Amino acid sequence: MVSIDAAQLSTRELNIKLNALVEDNQDVKIINPRARHNVVVGILKKCQITVEGSLGYYCASLLDGPTVCIEGNSGWALGENLMNGVIRLSKDAGASVGASMRGGEIFVGRNAGARAGISMKGGTLIIKGNAGFLTGFMMQKGTIIVCGDVGDAVGDSMYEGVIYVGGKITSLGNDAKIANPTQTELSVIDKKLKKNNIAGSYKFKKIISEKKLYHFDKLERLEKSAI
Amino acid sequence: MVRRTSQIFSPWVIQDIHAKSDLGRYRIRGFSSFQDVTHFDDLTFLSTGLTRFPLEGYKEQCNTQTVIGSLNAKNPLILDTPIYITGMSYGALSVNAKTALGKAASLVGTASCTGDGGMLPSERKASNKLIYQVLPSRYGFNPHHLKKAQAIEIVVGQGAKPGTGGMLMGIKVLDNISEMRDLPKGIDQRSPARHPDWLGPDDLAMKIEQLREATNWTVPIHVKLGACRVSDDVKLAAKAGADAIVVDSMLAGTGASSEILLDHSGIPTVPAIVLAREALREIGLNGKVHLIASGGIRSGADAAKALALGADAVAIGLSALIALNCNREIPGSNFMKEMGVPAGECSHCHTGKCPVGIATQDENLTKRLDPDEGAERVANFLNAMTMEMSLLTRSLGKGDVHSLEPEDLAALTIEASAMAQVPLVGTNKIFGQS
Ligand SMILES: Cc1cc2nc3c(=O)[nH]c(=O)nc-3n(C[C@H](O)[C@H](O)[C@H](O)COP(=O)(O)O)c2cc1C
Ligand code: SF4
Repeated sequence: MVSIDAAQLSTRELNIKLNALVEDNQDVKIINPRARHNVVVGILKKCQITVEGSLGYYCASLLDGPTVCIEGNSGWALGENLMNGVIRLSKDAGASVGASMRGGEIFVGRNAGARAGISMKGGTLIIKGNAGFLTGFMMQKGTIIVCGDVGDAVGDSMYEGVIYVGGKITSLGNDAKIANPTQTELSVIDKKLKKNNIAGSYKFKKIISEKKLYHFDKLERLEKSAI
Repeated sequence: MVRRTSQIFSPWVIQDIHAKSDLGRYRIRGFSSFQDVTHFDDLTFLSTGLTRFPLEGYKEQCNTQTVIGSLNAKNPLILDTPIYITGMSYGALSVNAKTALGKAASLVGTASCTGDGGMLPSERKASNKLIYQVLPSRYGFNPHHLKKAQAIEIVVGQGAKPGTGGMLMGIKVLDNISEMRDLPKGIDQRSPARHPDWLGPDDLAMKIEQLREATNWTVPIHVKLGACRVSDDVKLAAKAGADAIVVDSMLAGTGASSEILLDHSGIPTVPAIVLAREALREIGLNGKVHLIASGGIRSGADAAKALALGADAVAIGLSALIALNCNREIPGSNFMKEMGVPAGECSHCHTGKCPVGIATQDENLTKRLDPDEGAERVANFLNAMTMEMSLLTRSLGKGDVHSLEPEDLAALTIEASAMAQVPLVGTNKIFGQS
């Protein structure tokens, strides 16, 4: 494992160094990131990256393949548009964690801010603590597991995909409804939690779309004739 | 007998109220605004006479090469003409239309742009200079595609529907589109209006840095705005770090929008360019952050006037589709039967029944557009527009389309004078100046 001390580097210098080491198939540890933005961005191959300290906005974003372990907190949009790979954050995530992610897995060790899993298109987002308002807003596909409570308007305007909540649901969003998880679903959740070292017994509720917003309810003459 | 009818309840208004009382919702259509507003026809060029001399047409050089995004990008876009093809989604348009547009752009050395729904492989192959849109929906967004793009365009808004997201009726959300967009088949897609990962201009600055880091600072980053509060929006986008700003006016085309937004939001192209130019000048970034104008650009004259007012380039949508045969009867089409209106009056892109294979996902209709023939038509049109620009530029005694300036123009109406900030013909007066 090669260490990069970020303290004296600009974001550009840090990412250039990181990309070169990843290209060279090295495992990398970043120290002293000092909550800066846009670190570990756009890496499209399998690799192992560890970050000791907190990160700012858009960290570990636009990735396809890496495993990134962050010992600290993160700002907005951690793991944005993740295609594949794993992101593990030990502490709290800011707003929009996993925004528009399409695959892979993101694990948040404590709480997540507003809009967790917004516009999600695939993959799994696991939050050990609570998640803020509009969790899973306009979610299209994928799975969100929140072990704790969720804020207002969970699952608002979601299309497909599933949100499981272990704690309290403050309120459901537009077009979201509560359904009963099946035994198979519960055992899949259980496995995912165990894999992330989460013990405890949760009574998961499942949130899905009511599908009432799928269509404009009336069509004009030309649209009718087109069907 | 001469009959009088109501000024405010015109036949169109009466029909509109009937339609809405049948429907119980707002109306949706494609094409562009039906409002009669000030446009480039209200401006005229003051060509040479005795005060300056013209350049010889065809013989003396007139430069049309255009560089966009040189502020931060290692590889700015270098185009052979200041006209490129705007972002129109695969979904709104057929695969043949997207491929034809990409090919046409390459034939004339200019760029084309993806659109909502992601990068189509045949478009990537056809277009040598492809701009990749980052939209609020992020449908099909893929960092692999991002790294292959020659420029990136963050879409904040569109002129045809500012403040709302894209729209694609279920008729067009078929297998391929639903798969690319990760949406259930057949749904009436209403894309988000806000980006999922940023909200205000401070966040936008970080988003821009993210895209730069992901692409090694090689390609320009554009920000596209629906022209509304142009002055503030342009300043904020420029301060956030955009290399180029696209100002898309209320006259801009669309594949589907609510009619009410098409006609009742945004400002026209002429004042949008002037406000954007002045905003950049005020913050010292005029000429550094490039300005791209779009919305209702139909000819080399429109494009030349846009440049004279301060744009560095223009982007075209509908006129490129018209070059592809939109609103033209072709062998196999029957507009009256298929669309209920004659060719020339169609604005029904949202129905997916386009009789000329452009705005459809129907396999049989798509076949009505041959991508190679279509590419040639659009390339011809782009060449014609570029020649028209050069012709006008030479007639003004200039050898570079980028030397066109407001001083070359006069306004034919008081409104145009006020909006373009050029004198009304026959006077020295610029209306609206205190
Ligand atoms: C069929 C069609 C599809 C469009 N799709 C998109 C899109 O996906 N993303 C976008 O930013 N703008 C889209 N637009 C708007 C254009 O990018 C552009 O703003 C507009 O066409 C410019 O005006 P013009 O058509 O008068 O040239 C679309 C326009 C049309 C006509
Ligand atoms: S002809 Fe096709 S592209 Fe043109 S307005 Fe009609 S549906 Fe749209």
